[in-house]
Amino acid sequence: MRKKVLKLVVTFHTTADAMAMEKACKEAEVPGRLIPVPREISAGCGLAWCAPLSEREKLLVVMAEHGIEQEDLHECMLL
Amino acid sequence: MNLTDSKKKLALAGLVCGLVAACLAYFGNPANMAFCIACFIRDTAGALGLHSTETVQYARPEIIGLVLGAFLISAATKEYRSTAGSSPMVRFVLGMILAIGSLVFLGCPLRMIIRMSAGDLNAWVALIGFILGVGTGVIALKKGFSLGRAHLTNRMSGGVMPVLMLGILVLALATTLLKSSQSGPGSMHAPIALSLIGGLIFGAFAQKSRMCFAGSIRDVILMRNFDLLTIIGSFFVVMLIYNVATGNFNLAFNTPGVIAHSEHLWNILGMYAVGFAAVLAGGCPLRQLILAGQGSSDSAMTVIGMFIGAALAHNLGLAASATALNPETQEITAGSVPLNGKAAVIICIAVCFIIGFLNKRSENK
Repeated sequence: MRKKVLKLVVTFHTTADAMAMEKACKEAEVPGRLIPVPREISAGCGLAWCAPLSEREKLLVVMAEHGIEQEDLHECMLL
Repeated sequence: MNLTDSKKKLALAGLVCGLVAACLAYFGNPANMAFCIACFIRDTAGALGLHSTETVQYARPEIIGLVLGAFLISAATKEYRSTAGSSPMVRFVLGMILAIGSLVFLGCPLRMIIRMSAGDLNAWVALIGFILGVGTGVIALKKGFSLGRAHLTNRMSGGVMPVLMLGILVLALATTLLKSSQSGPGSMHAPIALSLIGGLIFGAFAQKSRMCFAGSIRDVILMRNFDLLTIIGSFFVVMLIYNVATGNFNLAFNTPGVIAHSEHLWNILGMYAVGFAAVLAGGCPLRQLILAGQGSSDSAMTVIGMFIGAALAHNLGLAASATALNPETQEITAGSVPLNGKAAVIICIAVCFIIGFLNKRSENK
């Protein structure tokens, strides 16, 4: 059984930003995946980007290069 | 209590909502309608005089309860956020599409699940259209669809929709101003107090669990995430058990009394429009009411669009008729979608494509 581990969760103002993040990270070969925004973060039903904590700097670079605006950065226990 | 940290708790939310729907059906809501957002908005629009179809006019306390339940629980748990500004008029149009598509099928996605649980094969056919519609919406998302971001706004703004709903409740309880059907589906309802309490409970659990019929399928297609689908699954099981136990389960296409029709193409296309529009609007009709309750003025605009769309569906002859049994001759009259309704669904789908593929993220920068 998989255990929950602490991960980095990037939330966005729009679903389109999350989709753009997925595309940008794939191009830059930065690991991560789209997830529904964890309930403890928001009552909304948008998408978020989930990545290992170690990828924080790379993610910030990718977002800056592609003009993707984050809403917030969180650390959450996730599968 | 966090309802979303395990699939068991999500299933519990669906179970509670299913029990509410079953209870309301048992105590008088129309057969297999139990809890339908589009039908109940249509009835409430009729009560307010927005349309004049006398058989579907009743201020449904469930709709009021859903919005107030979501408002109260979000305020109590500090999740109420007054937001606005994400293409409100486009959302208004999407609300109209949600209502018109639903009334051509004769039910919102919530009622589609309820009808499926009662063995109505027309609803299973419509599910194909709904999944395809959500899938098309997902393609639009992948192509960069966006209506722009919402911003925090004055706290009062997000509270307007709950206050308006409270106003309808006061009018229904304290005056004779609202219209009320003497026959037909609008005359069939559970006691007001029970409907209101049911709506409040359903609204609170839907807010906490983020229950959404379009979102559940969107998440499976987009991320292989089954969390939201778990809620729908348990809701379906509860309604299935209720229908089998009460003798309401009838595996068939022609089901007089169920308020359905068997024009398969239009069942599919009606729900295709609903699924597509729901993904673009960020949630199914139920979810729009919940989001409006927790402070989103954008979703409130979608809800107003649903009211106008539902009224137009009857004023312009777009809504389908249901298969009916003539009590004297025992002949079954097949339900159908009028020509106006067919044209409206085609227009709705075309508008969804225009909205979905011409509103790009890059335009919002």
